[in-house]
Amino acid sequence: MWKYVLRRLLVMIPIIFLVIFIVFFIMNITPGDPVQMILGNDPPQQAVEDLRRELGLDQPFFVRFFNYIKNALKLDFGLSYRSRRPVFEGIWPKFPTTLLLAVLTVTVSTVLGVILGIISAVKEYSAVDVTLTFTSLIFASVPGFWLCLMLIIVFSLKLHLLPSSGVGSIRHFILPVLASAIPSAAYLARITRTQMLEVMRQEYIRTARAKGATEKRVIFKHALKNALMPIITIAGTSFAAALGGSMITERIFGLPGIGNYILTSVQAKDVPVVMGSTIFLSVIFMVMMLLVDLAYAYINPTLRSRFSRK
Amino acid sequence: MSFLDIRDLTVVYTNGRETVHALNDFSLRLERGKTLGLVGETGAGKTTAALSIMRLLPERTGRVLGGSVTFDGADLRSLKEEEMRVVRGGKISMIFQDPMTSLNPVLTVGEQIFETLELHNIENRSHQQLWERVDEMLALVGIPPERKKDYPHQFSGGMKQRVVIAIALACSPQLLIADEPTTALDVTIQAQVLAMMDELKQKLDMSMIMITHDLGIVAQTCDDVAVVYAGEIIESGSFEDFFMQDKRRHPYTRGLFGSIPNIDSRERRLTPIEGLMPDPTNLPEGCRFHPRCPDCTERCRTERPTAHERGGHVIRCHLFEKEGE
Repeated sequence: MWKYVLRRLLVMIPIIFLVIFIVFFIMNITPGDPVQMILGNDPPQQAVEDLRRELGLDQPFFVRFFNYIKNALKLDFGLSYRSRRPVFEGIWPKFPTTLLLAVLTVTVSTVLGVILGIISAVKEYSAVDVTLTFTSLIFASVPGFWLCLMLIIVFSLKLHLLPSSGVGSIRHFILPVLASAIPSAAYLARITRTQMLEVMRQEYIRTARAKGATEKRVIFKHALKNALMPIITIAGTSFAAALGGSMITERIFGLPGIGNYILTSVQAKDVPVVMGSTIFLSVIFMVMMLLVDLAYAYINPTLRSRFSRK
Repeated sequence: MSFLDIRDLTVVYTNGRETVHALNDFSLRLERGKTLGLVGETGAGKTTAALSIMRLLPERTGRVLGGSVTFDGADLRSLKEEEMRVVRGGKISMIFQDPMTSLNPVLTVGEQIFETLELHNIENRSHQQLWERVDEMLALVGIPPERKKDYPHQFSGGMKQRVVIAIALACSPQLLIADEPTTALDVTIQAQVLAMMDELKQKLDMSMIMITHDLGIVAQTCDDVAVVYAGEIIESGSFEDFFMQDKRRHPYTRGLFGSIPNIDSRERRLTPIEGLMPDPTNLPEGCRFHPRCPDCTERCRTERPTAHERGGHVIRCHLFEKEGE
């Protein structure tokens, strides 16, 4: 087991290098000159050249790339072009907001999605099932930003129930959490329904019934655990994605999270910040995927024995 | 009244477009402590009969149209669901055909045996006592009790079927329905499992319905035999009626026995029954067997035969009408 974890962690290293290269390359070929962004329009020629040299922008692409890698290995990700402070000093303060949003979103969407999916599956083809399936199809298909705007219009502008933007209290999180949780709950409900229906057809479900188990026990003890794998995959992936900051949600609701921070940094061509946060996000994503795989092993004994054999 | 008495049970499966007539006036009796062999081709309705007793027919498609199932004096069809749950696994247990798929892959075999005990824990035994019983059951079916912590995928097919049997017998049921318990196993394991089941049956003094299409298994294990064809019992009687004399037999049964290869004769080919089982969505008029029957008369095509009994040996065929009177 630990061997497996170690191997997975080692595989992350080349992936991170690849991510760094791709982002570095893209930032290099996209238009916009960071020097101009910093100094504004029409700066003196001397200042431009000094700053260019200071930021190392006078060097060729590969030299800059290898310098970056060299420093990154020492955990030095450079200074933000805008604030002139180390990159992670800018990223860390944004993390709690994003983390809170992610935890709330995934909790709400998983609980809601799984419960609705189970109801749908147990009452297959009933009016409840048809309504749920239809509604979830709609919410899984609407664009995220549209949902954000609708929630603001209904709950803030019309009903004056909840604040439309900013932070300060937990109430500020209700709309953003709903906006991110509803589509993924809808998606999860559909997956859960399909999985549960598949599992409920299995022979061991009949065995459980033949033992005299109650329907509740059959569903929650025998069926759900077998249907859990794809549910965990989706919940894990969406948690990882949410940790990277839901850019649109954070922007629309004015939450000072990582997503929002990356967006402004990209606009300002703040290359070190973009680089730093991308690395941060990819590491988080890979660790989450590893946790998902370990969760598989936890719920599925067939996989568990395969892990331990390696 | 018999220990288990099924009368005129009629079951259909519907899927909106078609109606499958799975059981038609299915009647069966079983005495306490006896083993009944329920024989028939695939699709004859053997499993449907078992599921009807347990009331485990597929909810959406399966429907009981009529008839009664009386077990130990209780009318199973009129029991409430929670009363039925006491019967299932407690008084009547069932072993399913395929041990590979009938165990839950994410629970240890110990947990799966324990669950039955916990569900039918009338004597309020402690968890520790129940776990002792799990060990006892595993030992009974010949599996080292230490293996209770293992998962089904760590067992071979024969071992899994032993676990399934341990689950079924854990609560000492009065009736065990074994639905082709050895079909998925290879021949040597088959013999072991059958011998074990027979031994346990004697030890626990229970009745058993052995569903099979293998007459060899019937000969080894059964006291009584019933032959199912197209959803009805066409012949039933004692072991002797079937295996000791060959004169009084339903033409279908005769065909079944005729298709067993005989080790004494030098025949190269088997003699199968001509034709196929009728389509259960469209059963023939008159006797269900008449299109394949070598002794078919004009009357068989139009009039459905009734059951004729002589000394407990029941045959549903016009040929035996007169001598029954």
